[in-house]
Amino acid sequence: MELATAKTNISRGALGEAEVNKNKAILDKWINDVGVRLNHTGSAAKNIQQRAEENFVTVGLPTKKTEDFKYTNIRSYLKEEYISKNGSVSLKESGIENLLTDQFVSVVLINGKYIPEYSRLKKLPEEVTIKSLFKALEGGNEVAIKHFNSGLEKTANPLAILNTALAGDGLFISIPENFSFPIPIHIANICTGEAKSFYNPRHLVYLHKNAGLTLIESYHSVNQTGKTFTNSATEFIIEDNASLENYILQDEDILSQRNDVRHFTVNTRGRMNSVAITLNGGMVRNDPTVFINGENAEVHLNGLFVVKENCHTDNHTMVEHRAPNCMSNELYKGVIADNATGVFNGKILVYRDAQKTNAYQSNKNILMGDKATINTKPQLEIYADDVRCTHGTTTGMLNEEALFYMRSRGLNEKLAKNILLQAFAKEVSNTIKNETFRTLIEQKIEENIQ
Amino acid sequence: MNNEVDEMLEIKDLKVSVEGKQILKGLNLTVNKGEVHAIMGPNGSGKSTLASVIAGKEDYTVDGGSITFNGKDMLELSADERAKEGMFLAFQYPVEIPGVSTINFLKTAIAEIRQYRGLPPMEAKDFLKMLKEKQKVVEIEANLTGRSVNEGFSGGEKKRNEIFQMAMLEPSLAILDETDSGLDIDALRIVATGVNKLRTKENAFVVITHYQRLLEYIVPDFVHVLYQGRIVKSGTRELALELEGKGYDWIKKEFAELAV
Repeated sequence: MELATAKTNISRGALGEAEVNKNKAILDKWINDVGVRLNHTGSAAKNIQQRAEENFVTVGLPTKKTEDFKYTNIRSYLKEEYISKNGSVSLKESGIENLLTDQFVSVVLINGKYIPEYSRLKKLPEEVTIKSLFKALEGGNEVAIKHFNSGLEKTANPLAILNTALAGDGLFISIPENFSFPIPIHIANICTGEAKSFYNPRHLVYLHKNAGLTLIESYHSVNQTGKTFTNSATEFIIEDNASLENYILQDEDILSQRNDVRHFTVNTRGRMNSVAITLNGGMVRNDPTVFINGENAEVHLNGLFVVKENCHTDNHTMVEHRAPNCMSNELYKGVIADNATGVFNGKILVYRDAQKTNAYQSNKNILMGDKATINTKPQLEIYADDVRCTHGTTTGMLNEEALFYMRSRGLNEKLAKNILLQAFAKEVSNTIKNETFRTLIEQKIEENIQ
Repeated sequence: MNNEVDEMLEIKDLKVSVEGKQILKGLNLTVNKGEVHAIMGPNGSGKSTLASVIAGKEDYTVDGGSITFNGKDMLELSADERAKEGMFLAFQYPVEIPGVSTINFLKTAIAEIRQYRGLPPMEAKDFLKMLKEKQKVVEIEANLTGRSVNEGFSGGEKKRNEIFQMAMLEPSLAILDETDSGLDIDALRIVATGVNKLRTKENAFVVITHYQRLLEYIVPDFVHVLYQGRIVKSGTRELALELEGKGYDWIKKEFAELAV
């Protein structure tokens, strides 16, 4: 066990006037680009969006010196000349058809915008709400208004602030009290469009007390013609005794650059299991934060990232134990090949009152070749005295002894490597409880690890 | 003519080094079908190097000589091709492979070997039948073969799993590298009984061991003493008993000039 003593802070309010003016100029340009934003939908959202604008001007985009972005230089991906846009519908349906399955309720988002006519909601009972967040706020949905930005405003993530300032639309999902929806909701996210497009989709998922939901998200590129940057933010609120399964497949074009901010609030006896599988994408940064706010909550946060060519995948996680008697378990595994770079930076923060916390974190990486890079930084910050916290990280090449052993039984080198990598990946994919999706993921991993 | 057909493994003047240090210094060995050869020798004489080089481990440099198996030059083939030709190495230290079950591992290996030999894939029911049959031969519990290869196995279980894999892959030549090391007498008996049940007129075994003990159970046709990278003495079973009585000092004295 290791106690991290230094607290990481995003430097705020320390910018000079020139920097502030520059930030304002960038933000004004992007606001001007985007046109319609959430702030048209009512005073609550309007105030929040205005506050975010003010905040962004004082913090700006992260730099290489921003501790939380040390291994991902956002400014080298998201450039000023990018054009902030809302999601569009200009896509032929043919590109989407094969991504959907009838076993799930399927929701199609194009660049973050909800497209009802492409979605398949036949199996959706009327108790479950799936609608545009824009419409939910505009229509005065009390849950949406109350919880919009309620989680993210407690963090100081500059890209989350930027998302709040620029967000046009996204999805609002709400599961009522005592209702456990047995059919998974699958959100097929399509990334499409021209070079330099910059999207800020914003979603809110709310589980009332005793509610249950399996939310599957898959990310794909269709007809992508140039580099795009998507800065998405999703808030999840898991009320008392509610349970969320959240599975993510990131399988986008090399032209796609994605920053995925998530904020989970887990209340008393709440339960969540999030599994993120990153297989393709030019730049992917997964940035989940979990606030464990009530006692006896259980949090599982798992990830597998396979990074190839010149791609970059960053998993930046934060688990905050803010209540006693809770457990969290985190497993991230990376396979990094070619000239690719992988990052795991996971932090567990245990508050003084969060006694009897059980928190575990593990990161294991396999480097394929001499030019592959992994930056791994596990952090524990503990202020309670009666806790059990462990973390561990290992990085290595494939086990040569195991390879020779397998070859001595008649498996050629390529096959032996594939089998070892798939076995390595399985520890993460096994945490996906939905069998249909797990099988799909395992096929994808098999195709991807060649 | 008959001799040529029966000859399986022929090693001629084999010279092998590791990181510039010569380990095998001109080794000769011929193994015919149906024979069991024991290779004994003191620690550091090159026994395990010999096993690894025959199996095709790439950490070694072959400086000279040849290894021929059923008339084919093995030094031209990779480790997996040698296995597909019918060789098998039972490891001194079997490797743990988390996440890969022994059954799936063997299914894949058998599929690869059969494909190489131009045979049709094995039917699932035939595989299961064979699995049950061979589990019985080597007295290995079914729950061990369902688990990840060697993961969390005891020393004895690992060695038994080696013999089980050998039984499933049906090699024509099996090299047992110190299979007796770390085994208690019961485990030794089970392993040896398994090997004996698998002996036929068509296959051959090379048993590498430090001690005579194993040879009480697996009775060899020939015994060779490896010392300083060469076979310095060959004989029958009696040679092993002589070594047991006199120890290796006798060999070391007699061949002192080799230890340079």
